[in-house]
Amino acid sequence: MTRGNGGSAPGANAGAAGPAHGPAGAGVAALERLRAVGSHPLVELAAIKERTGLMAMGYFDSYLPEELIMAHGLVPYRITVSGVDDVRSGEFIQRYACPAARDLLEQALRGDLALLDGVLFTRYCDSLRGVFAVWDTERLSPFVDFVRYPTVVDTPGAVTYLARELQEVSGRIAEAFDAPLDERRLLDSIAACDRKRALVAQLAARRASRDLPLAGADYLAVLVAATTMLPDEFTATLSTLLEHPPAGEPGDAVPVVLSGTTFDNIALAAAVESTGLYLAADDLSTGSRWYGVRVGASLAAATAATAAGTQAEGAETRGEAGGPTFTDPWEALAYAYLSKPPCSVKEPSSPRADHLVGMVRSSGAEGVLFYLTKYCDSEQVEWPFIRDRLEREGIPVVMVEGDQKGEGSGALSTRLEAFREQFELGGDLA
Amino acid sequence: MSTRADQPVTKRLEATRSLRSLIKGYYEELFRAADEGRPSAWLNVGVPCEFFYAMDIFPFYPENYAAACGALKITPQLSAVAEAHGFSADLCSYVRATLGTVFSGEGPYGELPRPTLQVSAMNSCIMVMVWWRAVQRHWDVPTFVVDTPLVREHSEGINLDYVESELRRMVAWIEEQTGRTLDEQRLREVVRLSNEGKEIWSEVLDLRRAKPCPITAADIFTHMFPMVALRGTPQYVAHLRALRDEIKQRVDEGFAAVEGERYRLLWDNLPPWFDLKLFEDLAGRGVNFVIDTYTQAWGPRYMGTIDEADLVRSFAAYMGAGFLNVQIGRRYELLAELVRRYDVDGIVFHSDRSCKPFSLVQVELRKRLQEDLGVPGLLLEGDHNDQTLLDRGRAWGQLESFLEMLDARRG
Repeated sequence: MTRGNGGSAPGANAGAAGPAHGPAGAGVAALERLRAVGSHPLVELAAIKERTGLMAMGYFDSYLPEELIMAHGLVPYRITVSGVDDVRSGEFIQRYACPAARDLLEQALRGDLALLDGVLFTRYCDSLRGVFAVWDTERLSPFVDFVRYPTVVDTPGAVTYLARELQEVSGRIAEAFDAPLDERRLLDSIAACDRKRALVAQLAARRASRDLPLAGADYLAVLVAATTMLPDEFTATLSTLLEHPPAGEPGDAVPVVLSGTTFDNIALAAAVESTGLYLAADDLSTGSRWYGVRVGASLAAATAATAAGTQAEGAETRGEAGGPTFTDPWEALAYAYLSKPPCSVKEPSSPRADHLVGMVRSSGAEGVLFYLTKYCDSEQVEWPFIRDRLEREGIPVVMVEGDQKGEGSGALSTRLEAFREQFELGGDLA
Repeated sequence: MSTRADQPVTKRLEATRSLRSLIKGYYEELFRAADEGRPSAWLNVGVPCEFFYAMDIFPFYPENYAAACGALKITPQLSAVAEAHGFSADLCSYVRATLGTVFSGEGPYGELPRPTLQVSAMNSCIMVMVWWRAVQRHWDVPTFVVDTPLVREHSEGINLDYVESELRRMVAWIEEQTGRTLDEQRLREVVRLSNEGKEIWSEVLDLRRAKPCPITAADIFTHMFPMVALRGTPQYVAHLRALRDEIKQRVDEGFAAVEGERYRLLWDNLPPWFDLKLFEDLAGRGVNFVIDTYTQAWGPRYMGTIDEADLVRSFAAYMGAGFLNVQIGRRYELLAELVRRYDVDGIVFHSDRSCKPFSLVQVELRKRLQEDLGVPGLLLEGDHNDQTLLDRGRAWGQLESFLEMLDARRG
């Protein structure tokens, strides 16, 4: 049997054929809304600011707790990689900086990020710190600050330190924006963000099981929307989508896991799927390595009860996931974010490979598409290790190096089609 | 105009001869330690070797080793080995050279012995951490990362507390790995020598202020080896004393390292180790790089010294002040100070593809220094270790144009 054959990815036409269940059009409308936000996040940010009158704080790094921003009554906005052509960034930073980092700078220099009242940087990588230097010097946003984030993520000392560092940053935000920290709002933000992340995890699980065969491009749009829309509205919209999934059949495309760092290029994901691959799951810093964060699971019952407005009967010593719990929400935040499946810029990084293999197994994926962002030092070193690990696990992998721009190319399509064909061959031989 | 001097136009320091013997002795000791089963550690330059000398663990610096590969122009062939293992040609050329040696056993000193352990610190770049990670995976070497979160100007408060705790964690880990304990008194003795050497190094750097400047950039870069790898040893202090005395004598005699010194320039970033002759060739045009940023990273003026009364915390502050651990504001301050102190006419910013933390702020630094101090800068594309990434002809043309511009400013 010939599989894939291009264009038969699950859910490729989801939403076009009308709703499968529930109130007519609700799921389709929810999907359309998420697609629109995913495609044009800055338009959504403008609408939020217009509607709420709130100020917005941008950030890039998925290790940065958006709850910190929300606790000050500000709108958090993850600045996505837009894919715009480099025109002005070359005047400020060399071409061998990571293209994703250059893209952020390009957006700011073009004035596309003028809606942001502030931006929080972390080190994350050496290119991003270079972008921070330009941003800071050129004052590319009214407020800019640098979170002195740990690189080592598995020590109690890192948790304690990050908790204190987040508090210091919080103090500076309060002063700069005349927006004092509201502890109750911090706890509410933690709960709201946990809810939305859990819902994204639910979506990912249903995609992996083909129960909800949403195209990979749509899934990426949901990820972008998750860090763009206000959490409660996002949660309501995604809930509607999950309750009333649009019609769509699991296609015969070859399921693969998309692995990489940040990946916001929806058009490129669609191009990948047009070759007969299905992005069934991900190992992205903005995807499965993010949506597993559950700060509430690390909050002691007494603190969580305060958030819920109920009377606590006694503090727990273990969280839902079996990890430690904290009465201090800052420590819970620090622990939860430091404990997520690591990016290759963190130490240790080896759990990331376990996570990737886990995503392959749990999604029934047959292979991995490793997207290597050009000039990304840590991923360049991680790639041979990931390749060897997958080989030992018997998981086919194809590596594609790119600059996160464009909508694919003939060469890319040919390469991915050849990768897909190896599964067809395997099927015939079987 | 020829781009290369046919005959040496600068006079080499006598101390360079004893340096060769120091380096030879260092590598002999590396292999001897391995033969005798004594522990050794791979460290990056951000990790203080003083702890390791105090614990009788031989400290080996792959960055230093890689620079030797660069000087011998063998990085491309070692890189090919690393690339064959799947590592990108875009990676730092130090990393590619070292991994090429690790995978092939080839290199200027033959097969390197597998270390007992590895320690890297985050006060320079992400690269060192992932570099050690690649070696760890290949050789299965116990590896430790000292976390030193980037700071704006210097480490203080909670950041300093954290880095201090990281150093204590490192010591405990080393003790666990090697069964050796850190004797604080022994560390204090090592630190005393280390501090003494740093003060002498500072004097050496200060002597470069003389007009004419007594040494060249190639001289000072060559003599960085003991500052990196031998700090805290008696031979390091002895060598630096001899170096300082020789340079001081040159100053007293009015010796010009570059005859007819016409342009006093500042070099930013690492040098092209494979082409230190570039400095010699420029000397033929009356150019001397009288100061640089890289060698400041080991001098007390910028980094401070270690307080013997509060060793670990003092080391934490020292690591936090690292040139690549601070943000652009602090880098600007240092450059501005060097421009004034050394009375430089211009700055060559070596845009080094293999060192993003050093390079990716240079465009801004050049602009600000030009605006604030009126000192012009040239951004020179290249690499510190891979000669295939330097277009010598293009670079020379850029340098010629830069010198012409400096001439025009003089009227």
